[in-house]
Amino acid sequence: MLNRRRLLTTALTLAFAAAPLQLLQAAVPAGYPASYQSVIDAATKEGKVVVYATTDAALAQPLIQSFQQLYPGIKVEYNDLNSTELYNRFISETAAGAGSADVLWSSAMDLQVKLANDGYALRYTSPDAKKLPDWAHWRDEVYGTTYEPIAFVYNRKLVSAGEVPKTHADFAALMNNPKFKGKVTSYDPEKSGVGFLLASQDSKANPSFWNLAKALGGADVKLQTSVGAMMERISSGENLIGYNLLGSYAMTRAKKDANIGYVLPTDYTLVISRLALIGKASKNPNAAKLWLDFLISTRGQSLLAASDLYAVRTDMEGNSTGTYLGRVLGGAMKPIPVGAGLLTYLDQSMRLQYLKQWKAALARN
Amino acid sequence: MNALARLGGTRIAVVLLAALAVFLPIGLVFWQSALSGPFFFPNHEYGWAAYQFIFDDPDFWMAAKNSLMIAVGMIVIALPLGAALAFLLSRTDLPGRRWIEVLVLIPVFVSPFVLGFGYVVATGPVGFYSLMWQSWFGSVPWNIYSLPSIAIIAGLTHVPHVYLYSSAALKNLGSDVEEAARVTGAGPLRVARSISLPMVAPSLLYSGVLVFFLGFEIFGLPLILGDPEGHLVLATYLYKLTNKLGLPSYHLMAAVAVCIIAVTFPLVLLQRHLLKTANRYIAVKGKATRQRLMPLGRWRWMALALVGGWLFVTVVVPLSGITLRAFVTNWGLGVQWSEAFTLQHFRDLAEQPGVIRAIFNTILIGVIGGGLAVACYTALGLVAHRRSDILTRCIDYMVLIPRAVPGLLAGLAFLWVFLFIPGLKELRSSLFSVWLAYAVVWLAYGMRLVSSALLQVAPELEESARTLGASRTRVNLEITLPLIRFGLLASWLLVFMIFEREYSTGVYLLTPGTEVIGSMLVSQWAAGAVDLVAVLSLTNVLLVGTGIAIALKLGVKLHD
Repeated sequence: MLNRRRLLTTALTLAFAAAPLQLLQAAVPAGYPASYQSVIDAATKEGKVVVYATTDAALAQPLIQSFQQLYPGIKVEYNDLNSTELYNRFISETAAGAGSADVLWSSAMDLQVKLANDGYALRYTSPDAKKLPDWAHWRDEVYGTTYEPIAFVYNRKLVSAGEVPKTHADFAALMNNPKFKGKVTSYDPEKSGVGFLLASQDSKANPSFWNLAKALGGADVKLQTSVGAMMERISSGENLIGYNLLGSYAMTRAKKDANIGYVLPTDYTLVISRLALIGKASKNPNAAKLWLDFLISTRGQSLLAASDLYAVRTDMEGNSTGTYLGRVLGGAMKPIPVGAGLLTYLDQSMRLQYLKQWKAALARN
Repeated sequence: MNALARLGGTRIAVVLLAALAVFLPIGLVFWQSALSGPFFFPNHEYGWAAYQFIFDDPDFWMAAKNSLMIAVGMIVIALPLGAALAFLLSRTDLPGRRWIEVLVLIPVFVSPFVLGFGYVVATGPVGFYSLMWQSWFGSVPWNIYSLPSIAIIAGLTHVPHVYLYSSAALKNLGSDVEEAARVTGAGPLRVARSISLPMVAPSLLYSGVLVFFLGFEIFGLPLILGDPEGHLVLATYLYKLTNKLGLPSYHLMAAVAVCIIAVTFPLVLLQRHLLKTANRYIAVKGKATRQRLMPLGRWRWMALALVGGWLFVTVVVPLSGITLRAFVTNWGLGVQWSEAFTLQHFRDLAEQPGVIRAIFNTILIGVIGGGLAVACYTALGLVAHRRSDILTRCIDYMVLIPRAVPGLLAGLAFLWVFLFIPGLKELRSSLFSVWLAYAVVWLAYGMRLVSSALLQVAPELEESARTLGASRTRVNLEITLPLIRFGLLASWLLVFMIFEREYSTGVYLLTPGTEVIGSMLVSQWAAGAVDLVAVLSLTNVLLVGTGIAIALKLGVKLHD
């Protein structure tokens, strides 16, 4: 990772050294219209872009560095928040007219769509928008940037190859095995927005989801609020297997932690995408455009792919792309479409009703 | 006009400023609880819908019941242990007293968040102590995530609070009464039970109320230990409401906060009342003879074992857990420690500018912010010093109020204050916002430190200056302040350590430039960066440790 970054830096330094004039003015990226230069100029005048994101600062570091090499005159103020804090801060700050994020980049797909629906997003057609799959953008306001499959995550030392479930039905069946009683973990949809989103999408995608939920309840599932807490417990052997974890995190962790294994279910695999939008009241709208465009540019996408977040663009090749996963798993990939459908469960009564049903299935009061 | 003049312009200004800092955020919370939506949206309506919602929610009642159980459990555990500890350390010839005294205070200054996480790694179902136990005895008899466990851990970690107040009272008590009992043949246990404890009963009662009250506020431990089995307490229920409806439900959160205040504020008042009584008792001092230590005799080693056992469970276990986690890639069943060992987490830490800033800011807010806070507390303290007019009474009650609000919501309220009060916007993304929130949240604690320093100044000195014609300001500047400079230094160090450990208040004020370790721990835990949480926790403990070491080097007494 480090080496690659150093290589890239060296390459860029050499490129800049060869063309010293480039240093003075950042160039229009290949394939963008020439008129893009005016956006770059205006952005350079603005001088910075404020990003509120749910993506780990550590994961975003290569993106920020690369962006700054492209546009040395624009400072990236990157705020790493959880999705609720992000939403809270943004609407409070906007209401106060206090200046808030220029770009919101969050994995809470429903909240991002809600912001756009409530008129907080700037309408902007990114030059690369047509390279995104249709499901991954909405109204020229919200753009999907990643392709993150939802996985079963298990402890490789304690779960035998024969036990590892391949489908949701396998998973439900595994719950009857006494070995897994009290050793299964998943998101708590009451406390975690992502957890709720996944569970509610499950119930749409899977006709026997409620049986699975009952099985989870029967196995005394341990509910957590964060994927890190779940993975920590799976890795330590306190839990053996986890349901509905973000595959991207599991892949990253599996690289340095031999205990972590993951599997993408072959009957259907939900896919979520980190959504980016530009705030309508943004103080640096041009710099915001550059950041958003950068996220879905080939360069940004390959950096995201390198961080195991997977490229969502349809024209990208390699193992860390949605296209590749689609080829391997065929029709099983079920991306959650970006759009008004995500608003259903932000309705208070619908949501409470769903939670009630969930708790009843788990047989918890 | 005359009356106002008598109170003094500066004094009024100081009190007004403090009142603003205290009442603005709390007023916002109360107002928000009576609305149907965020107060800053135009379409909200007044009403009791928020209260109706939480009172209809079975989770709320479960959380309230759990909070009550934990608070009661804490009293049952912390009170007798704290009292025993105070008796052993200040009245007997327990071996190694001096060292133990330092260690005893550690749980006060380490974030409960760090403690909780440490307990999971050390004594969770596959924690390394648990696995060790299992290999020796076959099965692990404890479940760290159960409600009784949470209550026990909370109780054990609050022993120092009781210890602080009872040992202060014991030290103010002459040893002649105990001496008399011992001469007539009573053993140490009998002396403690029949003589020493009844004498410090008011202080015990006071600290009992304190512990009970802290039990209602407790957040970090149940957040980490209660989650897996779904045990909520009021503060974690409040936290849960940030998500339950998918959208922020400020009115619901505010309503829960008001409920917590409704329980804790009467307790704070009761405490204040008890403190007065306690101080009256202390006036019944023995003669100012040197205190003689009671020989423990054959109880000596048993007492040491008791203290050592408590220290092991409360300090060694969680801190060894957190330390271990910082140096390994993974842990748990079947892990070879030698293979899992790594320094990578520390290298990763060094590569993140935000984290480095957080460490730097944490030191800054502790050292400079702590100093500034003590300066403010002192200004307030001087306003009340040797006076018993309306301003003094105002301060007496006012400083107690922020104590009753959960830190997380206090932080959110301060975010609102900085956003919506004109003229403060620019300060929001500076460390000032975090500092102000900290200073207000810890007002009661800081005021106690400063006023106990002020009380040690003999009135004659100030009076003689006054009779020679010195103004109050002059007396303060030339007599009182120089005399308490050492006390203020001690307060500064204690406030430094409290600021280092604070964690929930800063969460909503976190921006680039205002990161502090405490709030970063909460947000990184939520984001799942466990490696980083471990390394940052360890850094935090080291910072607090450095603070304690400096304090001791300077000869500061860690308590009065």
